[in-house]
Amino acid sequence: MSFRIKRVAVLGSGVMGSGIACHLANVGMDVLMMDLPTDGAKRNLIADNALSASIKSKPAPLYKKDFASRITTGNFEDHLPGIADVDWIIEVIVERADIKKSLYEKVEQYRKPGTLITSNTSGIPLATLAEARSEDFKKCFCGTHFFNPARYMSLLEIIPQPETSEDVIAFFMKFGDEVLGKKTVLCKDTPAFIANRIGFFTGNKVTELTDALELTIVEVDKLTGDAIGWPSTGSFRLLDLVGLDTSVKVTEGVVKSVPEDEYVRKIKDRPMPAHMKFLLDNKFLGNKSGQGYYKKTDQKDENGKSIIYGLNLKTLEYGPTEKPNIPSLGLAKKIEIMSKRLKALIEADDKGGAFLKAFFGGLFAYASNRIPEISDNIYSIDDAMKAGYAWSYGPFEYWDMLGFEYGLSLATSQGESLPEWIHKKKESGNLDFYQSEGGILKYYDLGSQAYLPIPGAIGLIHLSNFSEQTPVIKNTECTVHDIGDGVMCLEFTSKANAIGEGIGQGLAEAIDLAENGNWKGILIGNNAKNFSVGANLMAVGMLAMQNDWKALEAMVHGFQQINMRMRYSKVPVVIGTQGYVFGGGCEMSMHADAVVAGAESYIGLVEVGVGLLPGGGGTKEFALRASDSYFEGDTQIPTIIDKLKTIATAAVGTSAHEAFDYGYLLPERDTVCVGTHRVLAEGKDKVLSLSEGYVPPSPKKVTVLGRTGLGALYTAINEFYLGKFMSQHDVDIARKIAYVLCGGDLTAQQEVSEQYLLDIEREAFLELLGTQKTQERIQFMLMNNKPLRN
Amino acid sequence: MMNAYIIEGRRSAVGKAKRGGFRNFRSDDLAVIIIKDLVAKTGIDPQMVDDIIVGCANPEGEQGLQIGRNISVRALGKEVPGFTINRYCASGLEAISIAVAKINAGMGECYFAGGTESMSLVPMTGYKMAPSYQASMENLNYHVSMGATAEAVGKKWNITREESDVFALRSHQLAAAAIQAGKFNDEIVPVEVTEVFVKDDKRVESTHTVAMDEGVRADTSLEALAKLPAVFKNGGIVTAGNSSQTSDGSAFVLVMSERLMNSLGLSPKARLAACSVAGVDPLYMGIGPCAAIPKALAQSGLKLSDVGLIELNEAFAAQSLAVIKEAGLDPEIVNVNGGAIALGHPLGCTGAKLSIQLLHEMERRGTKYGMVTACVGGGQGIAGIFEKL
Repeated sequence: MSFRIKRVAVLGSGVMGSGIACHLANVGMDVLMMDLPTDGAKRNLIADNALSASIKSKPAPLYKKDFASRITTGNFEDHLPGIADVDWIIEVIVERADIKKSLYEKVEQYRKPGTLITSNTSGIPLATLAEARSEDFKKCFCGTHFFNPARYMSLLEIIPQPETSEDVIAFFMKFGDEVLGKKTVLCKDTPAFIANRIGFFTGNKVTELTDALELTIVEVDKLTGDAIGWPSTGSFRLLDLVGLDTSVKVTEGVVKSVPEDEYVRKIKDRPMPAHMKFLLDNKFLGNKSGQGYYKKTDQKDENGKSIIYGLNLKTLEYGPTEKPNIPSLGLAKKIEIMSKRLKALIEADDKGGAFLKAFFGGLFAYASNRIPEISDNIYSIDDAMKAGYAWSYGPFEYWDMLGFEYGLSLATSQGESLPEWIHKKKESGNLDFYQSEGGILKYYDLGSQAYLPIPGAIGLIHLSNFSEQTPVIKNTECTVHDIGDGVMCLEFTSKANAIGEGIGQGLAEAIDLAENGNWKGILIGNNAKNFSVGANLMAVGMLAMQNDWKALEAMVHGFQQINMRMRYSKVPVVIGTQGYVFGGGCEMSMHADAVVAGAESYIGLVEVGVGLLPGGGGTKEFALRASDSYFEGDTQIPTIIDKLKTIATAAVGTSAHEAFDYGYLLPERDTVCVGTHRVLAEGKDKVLSLSEGYVPPSPKKVTVLGRTGLGALYTAINEFYLGKFMSQHDVDIARKIAYVLCGGDLTAQQEVSEQYLLDIEREAFLELLGTQKTQERIQFMLMNNKPLRN
Repeated sequence: MMNAYIIEGRRSAVGKAKRGGFRNFRSDDLAVIIIKDLVAKTGIDPQMVDDIIVGCANPEGEQGLQIGRNISVRALGKEVPGFTINRYCASGLEAISIAVAKINAGMGECYFAGGTESMSLVPMTGYKMAPSYQASMENLNYHVSMGATAEAVGKKWNITREESDVFALRSHQLAAAAIQAGKFNDEIVPVEVTEVFVKDDKRVESTHTVAMDEGVRADTSLEALAKLPAVFKNGGIVTAGNSSQTSDGSAFVLVMSERLMNSLGLSPKARLAACSVAGVDPLYMGIGPCAAIPKALAQSGLKLSDVGLIELNEAFAAQSLAVIKEAGLDPEIVNVNGGAIALGHPLGCTGAKLSIQLLHEMERRGTKYGMVTACVGGGQGIAGIFEKL
């Protein structure tokens, strides 16, 4: 059986329903979103209001605002017959089995046989929901559990019930991954499924240890944040974000439904911690109530930032937060490699060490004891925690990092008992949980006690899986991997993936090798959160302050030349992006033969923020793209004003789709890949397809407008100034951008070479760099990590 | 009624559109130069100017944003207003007639009036040619290309290809002779043009001067003209050789009340004795002068035979010949220094430019009454009669 999905009905328009509807619209679905009817003329008011609130919410649920036109609203009384025409019905109504079941009864009246139907329930057994349904309904019914916000959280749990057809499950596992861009994880119909079940343990264990070791909330947030590869919020700040009531509800649900769970047995009779009770009693539920474990005050610090108070867990009073008193945290900061850092933290002879020993020991035991209860394999649990809770590593990956024996001893020393399969594993001598071989990640399979490729990951590329292979090229800023089939992948390894001379050299060497050897092409990409934050600002700022203009000129020239080399090299160079693709990163991508942009790519030429213009060919490229877009009879001016605005306001696309509107991506050249985890694989495919009969592009002449454009641009810039949208320095920068975009003060439109534009772009870049205000901006950015408006 | 007088008039040379010396020169920049020159030549205080009236046939793009004001603020200062008028090819003459009428009516005493046009920079149909659907349903001939109207006129008035080419040749020969004789020297303001372009990836500046009308081909011949194909109609008579040239140019006159003129001690060159416009069938646009001339004569109380010199704008040879025939003009006094076929036709500027040319020739000849007349796109004609003082 095969399913083709274009029209989807979303039943329920709450935060989750609207979020899911928007994400379905993001990937090109026509969505019918319904909720209860209201009295009066506007029968769809609930769904209408939910949709407009959702569209306004931050972070934006839609890749582009106009995708909202793909969603129509309705109500259960008037529009339920509409589900006869849809390919998939997803129910996202209130978490009450009786209400869901009665809606399903109505759905059965209109649903065509064979139409997929799923529930987004996070707690009700799917088997319960399927009761009393027709055979066809049951065959097509399963759980599809999204996480909030649906666009950004990459986990999709797929939960079969006993009668769900295999085809339906297989379909959703693939569809969720390839079309919705999610990490699909196959779950069992067990309470809270996988992510929230491990999350239940994690949250409660953290609180338990916090109290037992008398730690402060700040200490715990530091211990459970960046230090161990978890979201930088840490545990308590995350709790404020999610809402204490929500988290307590999950705990209650698990406690009620799995009394035999060893951790449930431990905590079920334990009184709720005083601080938690205090917050619940006072309805201090977190950000949504204005305060929770943390509280924003009206006071400001010397930098104008609001002072945040924290709850003292003993006195239950809010007060200024104190620096954590955990020496190991400071030491660990200096250790780049996670496995070494984690071990150092755990072994530390301080409160932090004690906390993490107990936590990880408990986590390893709890996670391994959940197999086969919640899953038959380790990777599902790891995937769920990474995708659903944004952990950088899953429980078994942490265990691998520390070593099997070490992890085992952590667990046993906490008095935890471990399942039989762990003991068997020890006996088998196959101690790793994962092994990578030739770039393919394999997991330890409990049944066969052997290492097997992860089904959903076949064909995907994760560069860490190539770490044991000798790199083709390696320097301090990048590594070039052989990712097979004649394709090289250049991975940035510099801090924040900043682009410096090392990356330029690495790329030049890679192109040399590829052009003279048996390579098909080059992919530039990585698995980091951000493709690149831009050029190495520290290096630029230092040289400017030292007045070393010769070195600066050489550096900027070098970056321009490598970008040009990339474009005109005899092998295809493709760039795969995700996260921030800023400044120099954006300029590189504009010079590639193609970009495979993860939908969550935030692309922009942001140089203005540090007082510069794009100097690596980015401004030239905008002039070229404007030129390419001109047609016979075109008035041209609106185009060039648009290009100026984009650079001069440092516009960043809030999705790859928006980047097309800004002109950072080109429809005839670049593509969007919904799932970030698929970007490198698609990038490699792109290299291979381009390599068939590859002919490098010929240099293009660029039509620049000269004074005709400059007059208009200078006038437009003055508007920004008069409207106080630009400071005087912003104006100075914008005028330089305008100058380059127009090819200088040429009397009239003329065709010029890319090199001419690069020369005037470089000159303008260096001129700006010589101004005090630009140097102040650079300094401010380096110190505060945010732009200065001077 | 306050009397109005033309004190002085100056113009730029007429450049060949897209190929000539003004191909990159904006028409507002050019107008500023001409008006500043007139101020210098007459010695008037810019602050006494009541208004600048600028004719422009395609006031958009580089000529947009109300070009009249853009010229006045730069040429005479922010206190002096300026506005734009458009009656296509009659604009420059219409501007003068408005200045005269305003002074006659006591609304002001001192005006610069004329026209400016860059056909190099702004396309003749504008950037968005969008005639009314309703109009197109009522009569498709409301909007017909100028060449097609010339063919229609030629057919209706039985003009041949050969006589058209002869007329064109005459235009070139007379213009060449006029230039040779230095007849335009006094009326033209030479303009120095500095241009910046990229050559071999480097910014390069160059300078040239535009001091004489560029369109004249002294060496053309009937044979050469006969070789040109008809461009607007299969088997038609209108060719690139017997049509006016697309051009860039700027021309203005200073118009003053008698009172102000006397108080400044200036002397008049001429007065505009009459100026009339009239409509004709848009398909036969080129015959427009035949409707306007009788009105202007009636207005001035003159007979056609009183008029000793005529500048008939040569939009097309076919149209000019039809007008001469139909209105009964004496070919000997028409376009004695050549016309637009040789000298160019910078649309909105043309009416003022022809007026200046006419006044200079009247002075040379001692002619009392002279006429400027032109057909106007959309089916109109204009005729202005000047009296030499």
